[in-house]
Amino acid sequence: METVITSALGQGLLYCFMILGVFMTFRVLDFPDLTVDGSLPLGAAVTAVAITNGYSPWLATIAGVVAGILAGLITGSLHLLLKSGDTSSTNYGPKLLAGILVMTALYTLNLRIMGRSNIPLLGKTTVFDEMGHWFSVNVTGWWLVLTLAVLMVILKYALDWFLHTEIGLAMQATGDNEQMLRSLGVNTNIVRVMGLGIANGFVALSGSLVAQYQGFADVGMGIGTIVAGLAGVIIGEVLFGTRSISWVLFSVVGGSIVYRLLIAVSLRIGIAPTDLKLLTAALVVVALSIPTVRRKVIRI
Amino acid sequence: MSDTGGLSLQGLTKVFFPRTVNEVIAVNHIDLRVEPGDFITVIGSNGSGKSTLLNSIAGNFPVTSGSIFLDGRDITTLPEHVRARSIGRVFQDPRAGTAPSMSIQENMAMAYMRGHRRGLRAGVPARLKREMAQQLAALGMGLETRLTAHVNKLSGGQRQAMSLFMATVSGPRLLLLDEHTAALDPKVAAIIMALTGKIVQERGLTTLMVTHNMELALQWGGRLIMMHSGKIILDVAGAQKESLTVADLIDKFHQCSGERLTSDKLLLE
Ligand SMILES: Nc1ncnc2c1ncn2[C@@H]1O[C@H](COP(=O)(O)OP(=O)(O)OP(=O)(O)O)[C@@H](O)[C@H]1O
Ligand SMILES: [Mg+2]
Repeated sequence: METVITSALGQGLLYCFMILGVFMTFRVLDFPDLTVDGSLPLGAAVTAVAITNGYSPWLATIAGVVAGILAGLITGSLHLLLKSGDTSSTNYGPKLLAGILVMTALYTLNLRIMGRSNIPLLGKTTVFDEMGHWFSVNVTGWWLVLTLAVLMVILKYALDWFLHTEIGLAMQATGDNEQMLRSLGVNTNIVRVMGLGIANGFVALSGSLVAQYQGFADVGMGIGTIVAGLAGVIIGEVLFGTRSISWVLFSVVGGSIVYRLLIAVSLRIGIAPTDLKLLTAALVVVALSIPTVRRKVIRI
Repeated sequence: MSDTGGLSLQGLTKVFFPRTVNEVIAVNHIDLRVEPGDFITVIGSNGSGKSTLLNSIAGNFPVTSGSIFLDGRDITTLPEHVRARSIGRVFQDPRAGTAPSMSIQENMAMAYMRGHRRGLRAGVPARLKREMAQQLAALGMGLETRLTAHVNKLSGGQRQAMSLFMATVSGPRLLLLDEHTAALDPKVAAIIMALTGKIVQERGLTTLMVTHNMELALQWGGRLIMMHSGKIILDVAGAQKESLTVADLIDKFHQCSGERLTSDKLLLE
């Protein structure tokens, strides 16, 4: 039982950065961004290649995050091209298409970066090994949970701080009432592109950490990221509430953990790992079809 | 090219769906000179082009032809957010002017930032909170005690008061009001209108106010224009406007639309 819990906590925390990224796009920017299916493995791929080429795992992780940011910036720019002058903020077509195009392109790009579909990292030094070295422990089990929890708290507060700066408020308002923000003299297009960059940086960080934790990067590891991300966001919002941005950032981290716990339990009771994506999709559908949930989860 | 100061429209034209069966000439070769500090009320029937005129000035879409000068500067091709640095707007829908899931103070802080570069400073600095509490108190809507409340918890009147405040707090060169009291119940509408008059006068704002309420149009501002089919068909100011009555306006309107009817008839024959 203890291993189920620590492993679910660990997985939940590994993926919570992805959930924060999905929250940024879906909720803050009102931009359902499908890029994440590609930017998660992109983070993993860049990190894995950097590590196998002898770079420090810290540098490799940063490189993975930067790659994710670039992917987000490209999606944002592509969206501007696709919507070409249309100023309605509720036109989701170009948003979805921009994400789909970049996600698809990233599949090829990730394969190109890795040179094959899977790069093992066994025996290579990862950020977890480095941190374990400092404290002379093995960063697994509760130590992994603790390490990731510290990182989560730091990044959660960083994001929270950012969203309350002048630019951060503009980012929130871009998703909330874009026309208003434009009539206050803000170039909402640039704000949105920046936000997508940041969000995909978070997603790529999860990819990078997952690869280092599980000991390999795989080109298929991003499939279903958007649905898992959405599941985490919705579970978090419904279970823990949305009273303020600061609060909801913790809520969705909680959602990430509960979601991994649900998966761990499903596997325990004998559900095949390959059936999990269907179950996750069903979970999101069921959650959204409960009216009270739909009311809480306002913008879908 | 243009006179100094104020707003100048020269041959301004906006055609929607040009060269299709759905073609609409919403604004048709309008020339208008607005002096700095002018408060102009704009009336006209549904679809006469009032909103399109305001949207063209604000830059919601590119105009078909003509030019727009603000303070002697040609703004015809500037993007909306650049013009917005010197243009404040309030819309008919009280929800349009504020970000609903953000707090009052966050909304206000964004309005204070109009025309400034945004950076990584605190979005709502402490000194601003004191300042906005004082200024909100002057609105008399009880908003100053609820700075951290979400805007979607406010009434339509409160939201519109905030929109008005946010549109004017940074001293815009031009204020565009598009039926901004039409969606409110009469009592609240009167409060918002009084507030508008006060703010416009105190700050000497150059203002265009669209309204369907002819009494309001006569009561407020120093000049009145009436639009019909994308054109300005009446433009009165000063003493001439003072002496105008609602009956006069209706007469004028029937005269013009009547004329149009006959000319249409002529076309058919
Ligand atoms: N975005 C648009 N796309 C296409 N046609 C439009 C658009 N906006 C306005 N029109 C058309 O242009 C004409 C003028 O509309 P406009 O909204 O400017 O009138 P208005 O005077 O503001 O009317 P109302 O009093 O009903 O608000 C109408 O025929 C309208 O259908
Ligand atoms: Mg109108």
